[in-house]
Amino acid sequence: MKETNLHELMGKLMGTEIKAELVRLFHMNPGILDTVEGIARRVGRMPKEVETEISTLVELGVLRRERFGNLDVVSLNTSKDREIQSRIATLIEGSGKR
Amino acid sequence: MRAPTGISELDAMLHGGLMRGDVALVVGSAGTGKTTLALQYLINGATKFNENGLYITFEEMPAQIYRDAASFGWDVRKLEAEGKLRVVCTSPPVLVQFVEQRNPIDAIIAEINAKRIVIDSISHLESFIPASELRGELYRLINHLKMKELTSIFTVESHEVFGNQLVVTGVGLSFLVDCIILLRIVEIQSTLKKALTVLKIRGSDHDKQLREFEITPQGIKIAAPFAQYEGVLTGAPRMSLTEEAGRAWAEAFARKRR
Repeated sequence: MKETNLHELMGKLMGTEIKAELVRLFHMNPGILDTVEGIARRVGRMPKEVETEISTLVELGVLRRERFGNLDVVSLNTSKDREIQSRIATLIEGSGKR
Repeated sequence: MRAPTGISELDAMLHGGLMRGDVALVVGSAGTGKTTLALQYLINGATKFNENGLYITFEEMPAQIYRDAASFGWDVRKLEAEGKLRVVCTSPPVLVQFVEQRNPIDAIIAEINAKRIVIDSISHLESFIPASELRGELYRLINHLKMKELTSIFTVESHEVFGNQLVVTGVGLSFLVDCIILLRIVEIQSTLKKALTVLKIRGSDHDKQLREFEITPQGIKIAAPFAQYEGVLTGAPRMSLTEEAGRAWAEAFARKRR
């Protein structure tokens, strides 16, 4: 992610309502290690609704997806999460100085 | 040889703690304190016995566990940051998924060098795994944890709040585990009290008394046995004959003095 402004970064992370719910869920509960079905249940949605958004967050590196037999297990990429948090902090600080 | 729970009275009842590498079942109806006991076992392991632990939850979110633990003064987030404890929220199919003897939680066990694990609650497996496969899957899971030399606590929901029936699970889980600790709500003189007893430890003697316990701001605190009552587990306790006779004599004596 090479966003130069806060708006662009936040748009990628939370551009849709579901994406925002997922980011919030994993941020509040970093120990989630679950299937797409399990994650959908935890945000009160259907698997079909969250599938694409999870894939986007995996592409962005926020989430990690690992295959175990016939199960796809999704979890938070904690190092990337820390990196994003510090990037947001830097961008907020930068926007305050302008 | 033993993995102390850190709850001194319970450790005394268990003659030193859980047997290392064993699986203990904590059985109780809703609100009896299963989660508190299990969490306390992990917190004490990480802070008093240098044994890191993994807490697996199916329904309760980690954020809720952090909040509830904080009410006992346990800083789970701090222990996680120190690599001593990890709360994992997953679904039963993930827990019983084995590929070439590898399970999705193995990496976390290795990462924090876990010696203790809690699965809260094993009852959820019943909703996700066909009944015909459940016993086999539990047997596989138990052996997997034993191979990793973890000392485990499984919590299980008992549907009977009162009464003289106790069904641990329908799949014979009580035969698969090494230790059973029963938590029960009992009514004594119109007051609801919590009772704890150790039903079984494979290969060791244990205290067989039924003891009152409380959930205090510091966690589980076990008190004296219900020595004056009989039939406490049935939900209809009565004062023991010796106690009753003693009381009758005391009353008669007091009347005579008047």
